[in-house]
Amino acid sequence: MAFEGDTYGQRTLDFVERLQQLTEYDEICQHIMKEMEWFGFSCVSSFSIPGPGENLKASIQLNNRPQEYTERYVEKNYVVHDPAVTELRKTIHPYSWSDIRKRRVLKKSEKLIMDEATEFGARDGFIIPIVTISGSAALFCPCGLEPDLSPRARAAVEIIGIYSHHALQRALVHKQREEAAHTPLTPREREIMQWVASGKTDDEIADILSVGTSTVTSHVENAKKKLDAFRRTYAVVQAIRSGEISL
Amino acid sequence: MVIVLNGTQRREKQEYFDRLFSLRYQIFVKGRGWALPSVQGPLEIDQYDVDEAVYFFDLDENDEIRGSVRMTPTDRSSLLADYFPHLIENGSSPRSPLIYEATRYIVLPARTNPSGVRLGKARLINAVVEWCLGMKLSHLQAVVDTATLSSFVEMTHRTMPLGLSYPYGGGRGAPGGGECVAFRWPITHEVLNDVRVYGGLDRAQWTLPDPSNRGSIPTQPVLH
Repeated sequence: MAFEGDTYGQRTLDFVERLQQLTEYDEICQHIMKEMEWFGFSCVSSFSIPGPGENLKASIQLNNRPQEYTERYVEKNYVVHDPAVTELRKTIHPYSWSDIRKRRVLKKSEKLIMDEATEFGARDGFIIPIVTISGSAALFCPCGLEPDLSPRARAAVEIIGIYSHHALQRALVHKQREEAAHTPLTPREREIMQWVASGKTDDEIADILSVGTSTVTSHVENAKKKLDAFRRTYAVVQAIRSGEISL
Repeated sequence: MVIVLNGTQRREKQEYFDRLFSLRYQIFVKGRGWALPSVQGPLEIDQYDVDEAVYFFDLDENDEIRGSVRMTPTDRSSLLADYFPHLIENGSSPRSPLIYEATRYIVLPARTNPSGVRLGKARLINAVVEWCLGMKLSHLQAVVDTATLSSFVEMTHRTMPLGLSYPYGGGRGAPGGGECVAFRWPITHEVLNDVRVYGGLDRAQWTLPDPSNRGSIPTQPVLH
């Protein structure tokens, strides 16, 4: 016989049912953050692990960590060394930050990253690994000072994380498509994507156009957003398809 | 090409069934280390391989099995009802004549090519949902390892969990163990469309010519 679940089960099923009805990105974010607060998670991050040469900021689906912390995290490229992220290489199952501390002794650089998170109000967090449509990894990570990490809470947050990731992804793709439909590439973006299509790196394009590499990267990122592409190669394909550039 | 056979055809189509049961043995018993109760030599056959069971075989151009799933009527045969009723936390009954249960879900090649695997999943599941529509079912349900739930939610956001996950076989980290979760899909044209979009299936890979065609699909012949 089936049985009625406890609060964790009921809340999670209610959360998913409500989430399935939402289509607007902002509404989805609010719904997720509110639910996470109930578990004692004051902040949530959800992002795809950026590939080589890709920008973390462009991979973020949702992030309400303090701005100062986020800027520092991106600037220092912590994503490469953050044990909460690198642990993904070892497991596909959810884990908490405290689980990592128990499993192994952290390197000094790793400890520094975790200590900084604590300074910004996150003593522990829970990581839900998610394999994306392209086969790359993404993670949903709520964190807080004293979050509920009981077995039932973990089971609930795992389901919430999986559904949240996909709902955010759907909403973002929809949003980007709508924006892209009304936003053609600028002449500069078109010119740069033409060079990208010919196989040039951002550094090489910067030399050719006598501008900074970061300027080129910024134009490429904008073009990727407008073309609804997560990767450069796919952006080139989309740009050719839409007639923005030609070979 | 996806073909559909039912349990009463095990003798008539023995070659297909022997290959399927052998594949299941390799994947579930040898590969995943599941302690399954009814292993007949190198063939994995259990108590749900009954006459009423319906088998979907996705065959390649050499007639080799590249995907398969077994569907059972839950009012008679349900893994969820028999072994995992605790996975249902919304009070639903695990048994209904309008609900079939998907088990022994296989898509090859596993993990070697993300786009190929996605297409393989969509080809198989598209046939299953089309068949369910033809049978006028209300839902299909499944018990899956929680690590794979994301792939079903990715196929359609209409995937409805029935409860939270629970450990099986000693839990994560134990040989043959893990955590499992139960979900249901409503049998609708919206879900069918979601699956087709997920896999990028073109019309040539559909069985029903268009979503408005509600004609019934025979259980036995070749789907496409």
